[in-house]
Amino acid sequence: MAKPVERRRSPATVIVPQRHGSQVDQPDRDVPPSCEREWHLMGNLRGTSRGLAGAPLLVLMLAVSACVASPGVSAPLSAAPSPAAFPLTLTDDAGRTVVLDASPGRIISLAPSNTEIVCALDACDRLVGVTDFDDYPAEVVDLPKIVLQTQVDLELLVAAEPDLVLAAGNELTPSSVIAQIEDLGVPVIVLYPESLEEIYTDIEMVAGVLDQGARADSLIDDMRRGVAAVEAAVEGSDRPRTLYEVFHSEGTTYTAGEGSFLASLMELAGATPVTGDAEGVMEAEDLVAEDPQLILLGTASYDPSMATSAAALAVVAARPGWSDLSAVRDANVVPYLDDIVTTRPGPRIVEGLEALARAIHPDRFD
Amino acid sequence: MRAATAARPLALGPSFGRSTVVLGGGLVALTAISLISVAVGTSGVGATDAGAIILHRLFGIGTATWPSSSEAIVWDLRLPRVVGGMLVGAGLACAGTVFQALLRNPMADPYVIGTAAGASLGAVAALLLPGLIPFIAALWWLGLGLVQVFAFAGGLLAVVVVYAVARAQGGTPVVTLLLAGYAVSSLLSAGVALLMFLSGDRLAAVVSWLLGSLGGASWPRLAFAAPLIVGSFVLLLLRWRRLNALLLGEEQAVHLGVDVEREKRILTGLAALATSAGVAISGTIGFVGLVVPHLLRLAFGPDHRLLLPASMVYGASLLILADLGARLAGGIPVGIVTALLGAPFFLWLLRRSLVMRSRP
Repeated sequence: MAKPVERRRSPATVIVPQRHGSQVDQPDRDVPPSCEREWHLMGNLRGTSRGLAGAPLLVLMLAVSACVASPGVSAPLSAAPSPAAFPLTLTDDAGRTVVLDASPGRIISLAPSNTEIVCALDACDRLVGVTDFDDYPAEVVDLPKIVLQTQVDLELLVAAEPDLVLAAGNELTPSSVIAQIEDLGVPVIVLYPESLEEIYTDIEMVAGVLDQGARADSLIDDMRRGVAAVEAAVEGSDRPRTLYEVFHSEGTTYTAGEGSFLASLMELAGATPVTGDAEGVMEAEDLVAEDPQLILLGTASYDPSMATSAAALAVVAARPGWSDLSAVRDANVVPYLDDIVTTRPGPRIVEGLEALARAIHPDRFD
Repeated sequence: MRAATAARPLALGPSFGRSTVVLGGGLVALTAISLISVAVGTSGVGATDAGAIILHRLFGIGTATWPSSSEAIVWDLRLPRVVGGMLVGAGLACAGTVFQALLRNPMADPYVIGTAAGASLGAVAALLLPGLIPFIAALWWLGLGLVQVFAFAGGLLAVVVVYAVARAQGGTPVVTLLLAGYAVSSLLSAGVALLMFLSGDRLAAVVSWLLGSLGGASWPRLAFAAPLIVGSFVLLLLRWRRLNALLLGEEQAVHLGVDVEREKRILTGLAALATSAGVAISGTIGFVGLVVPHLLRLAFGPDHRLLLPASMVYGASLLILADLGARLAGGIPVGIVTALLGAPFFLWLLRRSLVMRSRP
């Protein structure tokens, strides 16, 4: 070619093609190791939701669907764990069949609730990796972190040479990641209890794996006694219509979905949960119609600026339409600081239940 | 006149020596980045073991002194990511180069005429359709998920639709092609948004896919995508002369003896093929396909004889480097890292070229 090649601009130059998939402006990626992690993230996102446009919606929908409401899927344990019965075949909470040749000695937990179950069964010393959100019991805090910012680091996972991975269900551990771990030759058990009974069942299942059946029996007995004590304490009380606020953004409130685990705990704790739909999504209008008599702000667990009653009341009273709610008029807005134990489906769920009952019926716990 | 020529010495096309430097340097950089990427990770498996493991696996050299976990880390986790990054990065950058030249639009990228939206809709639909179990089982022996196959098919199908819509009796005007691409993309994106809204507990998986990641790269997936991507590379490289002619405008290209309409079809098809196959590996990763071609054009000039291979080499390098950063930073989406790495450099280059042009 003899003359210089120049790039020419057609009239179409002015057209700005749509960018797809918004690759670079999503603040959060996907899957939390557990529900409370997600809620915690949402708490952090509160201040930025305006600027991030659609992104928080994803996170919210994620939380609502993954944590608050979890209708439908329930996979009861089929094989009763019998200690010292290896090779052990069991069906996990995702309905997967898992075969273990021996009781594992190197376990990685991909959710804080799983960690707590293992430790409550006196097997904390078998854990070789946890998530960066693990905070209980104290001895797990210094364990290697395999899940960082909700992402499973497969390389760290493999390097820890686990012989069992305890994953979270309902896509909290992505099914693609579970498949990858299995492809690498490590057995995976998915735990996703959605009721107290399922927590007991899961504890029994893990106890079978750990060969700790006796410990499980006493643990579950203690838990059942704790639940019975709460039920006795709130028996015969009035049952206030109670909104548990998981998250709030731009007029939309995310709460315990109808039929969700959290809603069932609230009922046990002597409340009538205000649930909205199965997903727990409520617009301001729905909320005004339902008119809660008590509001528990779960987000206060992660937001110190809402941690006092006065601050919590001020925050919700300023929202459009909320000043007319009975709970706000009567100043029944509680900054709820026990979100973690209330939403982490592990052995401490009984503590969470009691905290709920105390917040709903303080007079019964004097 | 002399000054203008001196300012842009590449305007007449690169000399043989210059091409060698650009491509040779790029290949050296690509090799170095790939080696580092295999030798570095979040676990402690280092360069010595990584090198020994690869030699052992490839050529049976040496005996295994390392734990089997190290072998899994290097061979099953790091290496597929590096090779996947190479294929996807090269494919996106090369497809971006082609679309920018073909559409004569600086905002064009590999996704501009529907591939991303189509692939996304396909992938999201597959993620939400676990009802197609027999079909999944049939594909499983390929090591492919339904998601990968649907993404690939969706991307190609979207381009076919866009092309069919934009076609008039006389040909396919690029303006119409862009507009049709925009409209079809919008429609498909609305479908993606709707499915996301309805996705319930699968949303996490959907978002994860849409953000793009090389974390799912595995040997079977690469075996599916590599022949498609490499094949389209070869065919595209052979058409550099025609792309140069198209840069002059379609009329001039016709005068130069190019069958413009046929060429548009072929180039669009090949670029869409490379893009869709890449998307099937990694999901939609942004920025690489938009900026790498511009970067190289600013640095080395617009001759596609150099631009096409250079975009492959440098696109691959950028994506592998970005993925390394993403891995070490705790698995943040690789698209964020490509933008963080590439955008400042691109802006600097843009500034520099403006300053150079404004000199008397």
